[in-house]
Amino acid sequence: MSKESILEIIVRHVSEVIPALASHPFQPSDSLKALGANSIDRADIIMMTLESLALDIPLIEMAKAQSIGELAGIIHAKS
Amino acid sequence: MPSPSRHDIAISGVGVTSAIGQGKAEFLSALLEARHRFRTMRRPGRQQPVPVSTARAQPPQQAPGFLGAEIESLSMPSSIAPGLLRNASFSAQVAVATLHEAWVDAALHEVEPTRIGLVVGGSNVQQRELIQAHDAYRGREQFLRPSYGMSFMDSDLCGLCTHAFGIRGLAYTVGGASASGQVAMVEAIHAVQSGRVDVCIAIGALMDLSHWECRGLRSLGAMGSDRFAHDPASACRPFDRDRDGFIFGESCGAVVIEKLQTAHRTGRKPYARVSGWAMGVDANRNPNPSVEGEVAVIKAALECADLTAEDIDYVNPHGTGSAIGDLTELASLIQCGLGRARINATKSIVGHGLSAAGAVETIAVVLQMQAGRLHPTRNLDDAIDDSFNWVGSKAVAHTMNNALNLSMGFGGVNTAVCLQTLS
Repeated sequence: MSKESILEIIVRHVSEVIPALASHPFQPSDSLKALGANSIDRADIIMMTLESLALDIPLIEMAKAQSIGELAGIIHAKS
Repeated sequence: MPSPSRHDIAISGVGVTSAIGQGKAEFLSALLEARHRFRTMRRPGRQQPVPVSTARAQPPQQAPGFLGAEIESLSMPSSIAPGLLRNASFSAQVAVATLHEAWVDAALHEVEPTRIGLVVGGSNVQQRELIQAHDAYRGREQFLRPSYGMSFMDSDLCGLCTHAFGIRGLAYTVGGASASGQVAMVEAIHAVQSGRVDVCIAIGALMDLSHWECRGLRSLGAMGSDRFAHDPASACRPFDRDRDGFIFGESCGAVVIEKLQTAHRTGRKPYARVSGWAMGVDANRNPNPSVEGEVAVIKAALECADLTAEDIDYVNPHGTGSAIGDLTELASLIQCGLGRARINATKSIVGHGLSAAGAVETIAVVLQMQAGRLHPTRNLDDAIDDSFNWVGSKAVAHTMNNALNLSMGFGGVNTAVCLQTLS
């Protein structure tokens, strides 16, 4: 799966966890924290993404991502 | 006229959510009109899944499931941020909505947050949602939502409620089985009396049963109904000879406890004075109740309130519809000289909320005291003891100065609370 498709899945789950962002113009540089996701929201978003992709990767691997674009990159590299 | 209680504890606000209505006004009118919602339960996870092979051979309606009363739709105040609720269980969401009513009712926004406490009554209240999460992730456990690690604990109800309302005093859960709601009230009273907080909210949490708990309670003989499997409206019949166990009813109650002198903040008379209370246990792990234990708490609560049995003009009993529980309770009331007070059974309309019951029924008591009316007792066609002063199928007008409210729980838990009209 392409990095762009992974980013789309991340964005879908961000909107699911934070419905107020449904019409937000997401950019790869957006950070989950700045979007208003707290640490529990972030963990759930990442897990929902891994679940959608059926990827069994330890969450710790995703910890260094500073933006949703970087997160998509890390997941892409592991998939 | 009895002398006023030496205690200055009052109920300054209430909130209630139940299958028969959300909010005190809707709840009271449903009670007085005996509007029930008993049926075969439909909430996902409440009925044992039908194996595919059986489902083909036998449609589910051939085998009636567990009976109960379920909340049709929960109205959530717009002031509660939806994001806060996304990973909150149904029990937790109902607690927030119910607390909101009590919060506004008692004008708690005017109280310093560090002086407000919260005690949530109930243990293992989120069973249905936990079972559903287990079923959804069995075989792919690595994808379980991380927030499960936080929300599976009952204390998440405390976390969510304190977060939503900015409570900074104290918050914890207490368990006393079906007496949990009253145990929470007793704890809240102690928190206020000791000065740890000025105001303490007691919540009887919604016990969200899964089909596993329903099965266990049925097998134990506690939950009905085999006899009325095809007639849900007739199944819940506390104190009637044809009863065969309690019928579940989703509910949650929030009671605001504080001293009389601070309760004037609301600009109106508090609902009632909590004039006496008592809790005792039977040194018995099992579900069976005891006359000795119930008599002890009734007498202790009356003594705490400086009242005699003759002063009590209304008894709101635990009255679940269990075979032995109802008999034991009536025997205890007779032994305490309470056989002549007016008596009805709130569970005949609301159902048994288990952890919620004590708080919800205290609210039923104070609303009835305020209205000067007592709600009917449904399905009391042939009372096991007709010497009692039952409120039958119609509501009655009744002036009340002092009411007694009882709760009992598995494991020998007994509680009693006296509620007094404020002059």
